[in-house]
Amino acid sequence: MKNTEHHPPAWADRLLNFFCRPDYADEILGDLTEAFYWRVKKKGPFKAKSKFIWEVIKSLRPKNLKSVYHFSLNTMIFRNYIKIALRTFLKRKSTSFINIFGLSLGTAAFMLIFLYSWQIITFDAFHENKERTFLVYKERITPNGIQPAYDTWVPMKKRLKEDYPQVQASSRYYQADARVILNNRFIEEEITYTDEDFFDIFSYKMLHGNESQIFPDRSSIVIGVDIARKYFKKENAVGERMEIFIPEEDTTMSFNVSAVMDWFPSNISLQPTMIIQPESIPYFVEAANDWGGSFLETYVLLDEKESAADLEAVFPELVESIWDAEARNNTNFKLLPLDSYYDEFLGSKTDALTLLFIGIGILLIAAINFMNLSTAQASQRTKEIGLRKVLGAFKGQLRTQFVTEAFIASIFATLVALGMVILIIPYFNDFFDVTIALNQFSVIEIASFVVLLCITLGFLSGSYPAIYLSSIKAIDAMQQKMGFAGSVNFRNGLVILQFSIAIFLIASSFLIRNQILYMTNTDMGFDREGIIVINVSRSDFVDREQGLVRLNTLKEQLRSKSYIKEVSMSRSVPASWTRSFRFIYPDGWTGDPLRMRYTYVDANFFNTYNIPLKYGNSFLEDTQGDQRNSVILNEAAMKAFDFDPSEQNVVTNRSGEVRINVVGVVEDFNFETLQNEVEPTLIFHRTASNPVHSYISCKMEMTNLPSKMEEIENLWNQLGSVNDFTYTFMDENVQELYEEENRYLGLVTLFSTLSIIVACLGLYGLTLFIIEKRRKEISIRKVLGSEIGGVLGLIFSDFAKWVAVAFALSVPFVVYFINDWLNTFHYRIPISWLTFMLTLVIVAGLVLITVGYQSLKAASSNPVRYLKEE
Amino acid sequence: MNLQLGVLEEMILIILLMKEETYGVDIAMEYESQLNQSISLPTIHVVLKRLEKKDLVKSKMGEPTAERGGRRKRIYQATSKGYEAARYLQEKRSAMWKTIPAMNFSFG
Repeated sequence: MKNTEHHPPAWADRLLNFFCRPDYADEILGDLTEAFYWRVKKKGPFKAKSKFIWEVIKSLRPKNLKSVYHFSLNTMIFRNYIKIALRTFLKRKSTSFINIFGLSLGTAAFMLIFLYSWQIITFDAFHENKERTFLVYKERITPNGIQPAYDTWVPMKKRLKEDYPQVQASSRYYQADARVILNNRFIEEEITYTDEDFFDIFSYKMLHGNESQIFPDRSSIVIGVDIARKYFKKENAVGERMEIFIPEEDTTMSFNVSAVMDWFPSNISLQPTMIIQPESIPYFVEAANDWGGSFLETYVLLDEKESAADLEAVFPELVESIWDAEARNNTNFKLLPLDSYYDEFLGSKTDALTLLFIGIGILLIAAINFMNLSTAQASQRTKEIGLRKVLGAFKGQLRTQFVTEAFIASIFATLVALGMVILIIPYFNDFFDVTIALNQFSVIEIASFVVLLCITLGFLSGSYPAIYLSSIKAIDAMQQKMGFAGSVNFRNGLVILQFSIAIFLIASSFLIRNQILYMTNTDMGFDREGIIVINVSRSDFVDREQGLVRLNTLKEQLRSKSYIKEVSMSRSVPASWTRSFRFIYPDGWTGDPLRMRYTYVDANFFNTYNIPLKYGNSFLEDTQGDQRNSVILNEAAMKAFDFDPSEQNVVTNRSGEVRINVVGVVEDFNFETLQNEVEPTLIFHRTASNPVHSYISCKMEMTNLPSKMEEIENLWNQLGSVNDFTYTFMDENVQELYEEENRYLGLVTLFSTLSIIVACLGLYGLTLFIIEKRRKEISIRKVLGSEIGGVLGLIFSDFAKWVAVAFALSVPFVVYFINDWLNTFHYRIPISWLTFMLTLVIVAGLVLITVGYQSLKAASSNPVRYLKEE
Repeated sequence: MNLQLGVLEEMILIILLMKEETYGVDIAMEYESQLNQSISLPTIHVVLKRLEKKDLVKSKMGEPTAERGGRRKRIYQATSKGYEAARYLQEKRSAMWKTIPAMNFSFG
């Protein structure tokens, strides 16, 4: 009757066996098993199996379960396990310490990484409609490629909602500076212009106020709870009045607080603090049908995620109906899912995910330490295991015992790690300039995370020792005849895995470091040392015209200072380069217009930044007036226009009326990070007294800087600006471009260091054990005339082999991973073999130090001490 | 005789009476062949435990067999009380059945 090919699923069998009353087990399981074989014949193996599982589950009814009495018997043996575990830990203090400290270190690193990367991975998860929310943007189709632009038009929101039933809600979003007036003082705040639909699309909650009617009228304002506290010293500020100066309108307006918005997590993309409707200010009312200027973001909530593709398919018709057939050919509307917002504008979720994998790697290294040390120690516990077996312990019981030990260690390690994390978080935040906090999770979430971590760690680190140790034959155990061959191979494999992970991390962080050093140190084509940039704007002054005059006075005053070598005023400076574009045609061009960045500088700009001119001339001195018909190109623009530098080149606007002479070409300079290729830019001339400028750049002697800056600040204060004196250093601005990369490097470096420390800890423990095992062998060799060197060679040869294999294994992974990462940079380093050699030397050196001291001690000890024992 | 017996309890009791002695899987097979309806083993086990509590059946442990994965059977036998109970029900039912008019159109 028995079918040899099919058997009931063993896990279900075991499950029932574990929970079922012993006096019922035979009957129930026997019947189920017998029925299984009968059903295999009758209905086939699949039905039989599923029926078996179903019946096992059905059999788990309260009456069939073990009584508490049966379980309480187990707690007695459990208490014994715990007692023995604690005794074992205490007996071998050094290895236990290495074990638990290593495990806590690894766990703490994992927790930190988890906290950090989780908030990035779950970025914007706060919004319930995240899946269906999209940012509407446009693509410019130009001969030099497709360029996305995220600014849209005032009427866009209305048009989308009216024309397409798939659009359930749509909202504009525009942030600008505003000044709140409090006791005749102006306080800078950021104000957000958005529509009522905004609150249907996004999940911001109101603390006070009427959620069904957020903006009762045009003078309503919604404020965040922080703002409410700041200005009204209370949370419920509904009904309060706020006087706000709107720079765009140059007027002060009065608003009524209609709602107070609750806190929201820091990992969301849009973080409004003060919200008014666009129509609250006259400009938006006038621009209600203006499809000319685009400057705000438009968000839509669709009926379902899939509608996005349908909408994108019909958008060309919309473009044509708004403008004309020509626009249809060079403009496209697209929908960016909110999910992609972080990757598009803020950072890289992939990097966060990579970090998470690094964290798991470190956890794995720490768990492997535990596995290795536990199995290694087994030889010293064989008597215990043997005796337990002789006294009738089942394999399963021994397994439970060792898993229990692993659990105790993992619980202990996790708790220590949690303590470490709580202590480290403030320093970690400070150092890496991030905001991670435990309180982003609820207590229940943290507790279940910790419990889950304990269980994973316990199983990860306890499973192999348990299976291995419990399978030792009792008779061998009692005679201490241990066949370790299998376990040694496995253990070596684990050590190799550990070192592969460590080598991978170290080599990767070296390469990432090289790339970032390359980017920060490479000549970007302009001087960044000794340049300070002062932020200026005529809107800093109550009277604009006066402001302009005063700024020029300041500029002249600065120029007269002996320590300031060059002064220049400009619309944009490197590292905060222009993002304005305009359409332009090279003279005689018949194709589509070229869309290019443009900016304004005064005549001294190229001198100040030491940007060399490649062809032609620089602008004439400012004293000789505006040169509205001149432009200087960078080389990239030159290539885009396909100009011949030896000729007189002209660019025109669409109608060809405005003709601008190209007077010169400057060498390409990297005004953005080296991650991007230098883009074509048009650089126009405006004299220093023109209002377009917003920076004064000073090239100065940097000695005794504080007193000089104080002097400049005094000059500023005499101007009577409403804003404080703010300035930046160009070299720091350039560094800031690489903030994200530097942070990534810092994290990767920190965690690769941790990984090698944890791996070395484990290696140290393993060395102690190996030497212990081979004491007699070493002693005999020494008695027979072996030199210390020979003995050391004996111990080291194994470790050397492991490191070599680990190295060979990890190199391809590093090359693959780093290539992938480097591909995101336009200017990049080649992967250098020197880096790998350096990694190898470092790892080998660390292994040598870890293993060396103990080995040397063993090799130089007096053999008599260990030989006379028997 | 006052006995609360469910239909399933009665059916299984009758199967037990049909056989000298039997056990779970055998009951399931018999049930399926007699009624053309499948039944799960846990259900049978519950019913058997209930019948045993009412002293209608008794059980003893059998020998282990290979097709049961080396586990023993629990062999069930109907008691005389069980026989009485089943017969009592059967008689009562027959008596009641006879009072149903032979041609009751409302069932047609």
